[in-house]
Amino acid sequence: MNNRKTSVFDGILGDNMVLSSLMVISPVIICGDTLKNAEALSYAFTSVTILSMLIASFVPKKLPYTVKIIIYAMISSLVYIPVKVATQEFYRGAIDRIGIYFPLLAVNSLIVLQSEAKFFRMPRAKMFFSLFFYVVGFDIVMLLTGLIRELLAYGTINGRVADVDLPVSGLSQPFGGFIFLGLMCGLYRWIRSLVSREKKEMRSEPNVSDN
Amino acid sequence: MFLITDLIALLAANLILTQALGTSTLFIAAGNRKNLIWTACTITVFTTVGSVAAYITDRNLPEKYSDYSLLIYTLSVGILYVILLSALYFISRDNFAKTRKYIHVSAFNCAVMGTLFTISRKASEDSSLMNLGSYIRAGFEAGIGFILAAVILTAAYRKLNSVKVPASFRGFPAMLIYLGIISMAVYALK
Repeated sequence: MNNRKTSVFDGILGDNMVLSSLMVISPVIICGDTLKNAEALSYAFTSVTILSMLIASFVPKKLPYTVKIIIYAMISSLVYIPVKVATQEFYRGAIDRIGIYFPLLAVNSLIVLQSEAKFFRMPRAKMFFSLFFYVVGFDIVMLLTGLIRELLAYGTINGRVADVDLPVSGLSQPFGGFIFLGLMCGLYRWIRSLVSREKKEMRSEPNVSDN
Repeated sequence: MFLITDLIALLAANLILTQALGTSTLFIAAGNRKNLIWTACTITVFTTVGSVAAYITDRNLPEKYSDYSLLIYTLSVGILYVILLSALYFISRDNFAKTRKYIHVSAFNCAVMGTLFTISRKASEDSSLMNLGSYIRAGFEAGIGFILAAVILTAAYRKLNSVKVPASFRGFPAMLIYLGIISMAVYALK
């Protein structure tokens, strides 16, 4: 149970892959300017990453590191094909808007680098639980970025006009994405330090017993 | 004047500043100047040689099989990955353990794969770019653009990690905002 709790916080708050390790930030910066793009990217990232890692976890561990990395990348490139077809069905026009960032999701660092460094060192059940929350962590950041940037840059939410009178059009541009993500990272670290400080204070409080 | 024009063109088409490709790799390598330079040079090798593979793929792959281009690019980069590691091993076995990390970091990342897709997309939009020379040139320029972004980041790295920067923004967040400001300047140049 304890392990489970740690995994949840690892992927979502404790070690968020975007805000803490800056992994897979290109699509967040460039395509995370509308909620529609964010939804399509989150769906594709979740499907490609989880399916690829599920298949890749059966690759023999004895193979040389380089061979394993190439096999993982090949697996995710294969998984990408049906995911692309499904995305065309569910999110019409999304692939054209997202452009080259869509196939790039298939060779993301979670599959190519973190699989060997972190996930495949864990027991399989724990690995999937942990991976799931890392992916959820990415999705939350992606959707939040898409929502806020769309609201501030275009004055809309999911394409519908919202009553917001402060459009910051620069937020739809790549430089806006860099700055917005930098601010999110800073805010995330501040929250994380507050949480850890609170935990430390709770631990250092003297135990008061009735005896 | 030519140099300034070329520099502006290079900045305007920069992988990192305009497309955010390879930003994570840049930040990972930024901790050490030597690492950063070697990583940038290795990425240049991958983008340049990889562009040849992209050209062969784009030239020969029928339109109806375009979904398989990622698979073929990945296979090509994988082969290049093995060739570079083998070459490094035979050139200097003593330094192999120290230097192979640059190849591991550079092989499958957004800078390399993104460059191949960017070149391919540009060639599909403008048929005059569908030749080997244009592909290699674009691949090499992308690598040089990465080196340029690495130099820009290195120039401010210490200050962005200084204790004068509030703890929450020190390091990665400050680097992102810094790159955002540089990217804004490049956007104005275009």
